[in-house]
Amino acid sequence: MRAETRGGQTMSMVVRLLGTLLAVTALAGLIRCSSATMTAYPSSDGLLRLAWSARPERIEDCRPRTEEELAKLPPHMRLPVACEGTTAEYRLQVRIGDGPALDRVVHGGGLRRDRRLYVFEELPVAPGATSVEVTFDRLGSPAGGGPSSSAPRGAANAPKPVPSRPDVAAVPPHLALRRQLQFSPRSVILVTFDPDRRELVVLDGGSGPSR
Amino acid sequence: MAAVARASERLALRLLAAADALANRLYSQPLNPLYQSGTIVVALYLVLVVTGLWLTLFYRIGAPWESVSRVTADPWAGNWVRGLHRYASDLAVVATAVHALRMFAQGRSWGPRTLAWVSGCILLLLLFVCGWTGYVMVWDTFGQHLAREGARMIDTLPVLSEPTARAFTGEQPPPRVFFFLNLFAHIAIPLAMGVVFWLHLKRLARPGLLPPRTLLWVVTGALAAGAIVWPVEMAPRADPFVLPAEMPADPFFAFWVPVGRRLSAGGALLLAVVAGVALLVVPWVMKPPRARVPLPSVVDEDLCVGCVQCSIDCPYGAITMVERTSRRSDLVARVDPGLCVSCGICAGSCSPMGVGPPGRTGRDQMASVREFLASPDRRPGEVVVACCDHGAGRAEARAAGAAIFPVDCAGNLHTSIVELLIRSGAGGVLIVACPPRDCVHREGPRWLHERLYHGREAELQARVDRARVRVAHASAGERGVAMAAIRAFTADVARLGRSVERDDADVETGCEPKLAAGRR
Repeated sequence: MRAETRGGQTMSMVVRLLGTLLAVTALAGLIRCSSATMTAYPSSDGLLRLAWSARPERIEDCRPRTEEELAKLPPHMRLPVACEGTTAEYRLQVRIGDGPALDRVVHGGGLRRDRRLYVFEELPVAPGATSVEVTFDRLGSPAGGGPSSSAPRGAANAPKPVPSRPDVAAVPPHLALRRQLQFSPRSVILVTFDPDRRELVVLDGGSGPSR
Repeated sequence: MAAVARASERLALRLLAAADALANRLYSQPLNPLYQSGTIVVALYLVLVVTGLWLTLFYRIGAPWESVSRVTADPWAGNWVRGLHRYASDLAVVATAVHALRMFAQGRSWGPRTLAWVSGCILLLLLFVCGWTGYVMVWDTFGQHLAREGARMIDTLPVLSEPTARAFTGEQPPPRVFFFLNLFAHIAIPLAMGVVFWLHLKRLARPGLLPPRTLLWVVTGALAAGAIVWPVEMAPRADPFVLPAEMPADPFFAFWVPVGRRLSAGGALLLAVVAGVALLVVPWVMKPPRARVPLPSVVDEDLCVGCVQCSIDCPYGAITMVERTSRRSDLVARVDPGLCVSCGICAGSCSPMGVGPPGRTGRDQMASVREFLASPDRRPGEVVVACCDHGAGRAEARAAGAAIFPVDCAGNLHTSIVELLIRSGAGGVLIVACPPRDCVHREGPRWLHERLYHGREAELQARVDRARVRVAHASAGERGVAMAAIRAFTADVARLGRSVERDDADVETGCEPKLAAGRR
């Protein structure tokens, strides 16, 4: 003989109706929430985005090896020129309108900072026409200079320095972009480095790159 | 920290009790969706796998937004499937949260349950990551926003040489490999979730995987109907050169975005890590001091007859039978203390009363009930209410003037106690147990029911008048249900008249030898 009660098994129509109503409400709430509207960018400012990747320049001191030095090396390693050096660092400066908006040093990636460098900055800009100036200069050498050459060694009997190997794949030592840009509300203008033209270009999504 | 956790536990238990009581009233205990939150997650996981496989057939990594847009535009085989996929994932988040809250509130997160809690946290993390990849796959404004926010956080880690955020700057369209990897992750993560599900349930005997059939069809049918009535719509295509003021977003997966946006990338990542660690350490924070940790069951080898019933009934697979060479039996029960949660269900399953947590074995219960019967407060013919510690009934029994015999879990109660109470003059015994799906020890009410009414080993003897024994199920918040059950039973017992008090109130503590023989 079974004498067990299970709570709530005998339900009135009213309770059933309430249960169904609650379930439908919960389902509707879930679905409504599922595609709720969320604020993405509360500000109406435009955005100046700087994004590029490039190989930093290798700064080398090169000198010819002496006969003695060459003799000490195994035959397959007897390169006539010995080069030692570092990887260049760059100064990124941005002026929007009349004021400075960004000033930072960019160096290569990796622990030794000799890998590709990456620039990724986003700066809010009020809508309207604004002058933008972006400069990207190599630190430690005159802007616009070509591949570095070695400094004098000082010793009178030192071998005569030789020009270092040209680093044509690296980012140029000086990049500059001065433009009057029209920022619409919530629009993005991208400044990036074009490796083919070896200069900074502007992209706004609607048209191709412009200088 | 522990004090805050305990206060949170009490608050969560109170909230849960109120919600359970309402849901029981509206949907009945067997169909209360709050009790089935864990199995609902598994059912939704299956729905997500099936609908996801279908949607994958139409997805193109070369044209993500366009391919999803095409599927969404198809009302017959696309839109409602996508809606079902999306709403099922949202409900999975809700059901997972309810399930975690229940486990936390009921103290089912520490000790041998640590593995289940930690694997559950991993499942939650995988669910979020899978949802993240799913929304990024669409590559609409919301997907792009999620991708950028995720990349912002990833880029704070010194693991990638190239910042991932650069993929979304607009220099070039996002590479196809990005969408390929995203699709791969969206398929691989559910596979990993299957493995973690196995780990999650590894320490359970007879885990319930799916909800009752009615509930299963109601939930999936309601979601499908919802997907037809309120179809999903496409958000605008992702454009790196436009900053949308607003976007359609799914807060179940993007609830962190408004908070994360106000923080730096490192701060947002730190907050996510802190939240994750806070969830993971719950088992160690919630574990009571050593002195208050219930001791695992022990076996009295002199009493064990090797019938294997305790190892069958143990909800956690903590008892195994090992061989022995003694005069009593070939097998003897062994408890693995690393798996035993001290639920005491073995105490109720052992006819000779040879197993159970210290102080709660059948023999300990007999000692308690003899003390209870010896009390001068006892009145012949009174109703005795055996109340589970975790459910309702105690205050109600007191209010109704019934005697209270407390038990840790209804599944602990040895049927000999019931028999002894009746034979000692109690008018009737009402056992107020938790609803079967809400038992803190998983299977207490189920085995109690089997022992009382279906002759499961350690059964209530046939000589006991079943009209004087009743089981009522009432969760902690169902005080009205408990009160009604006590009143109804008291009235029924009064109609039966006085029970015959017997002096020879000895109870049988042997077990069916054929069961033991049959299991060998």
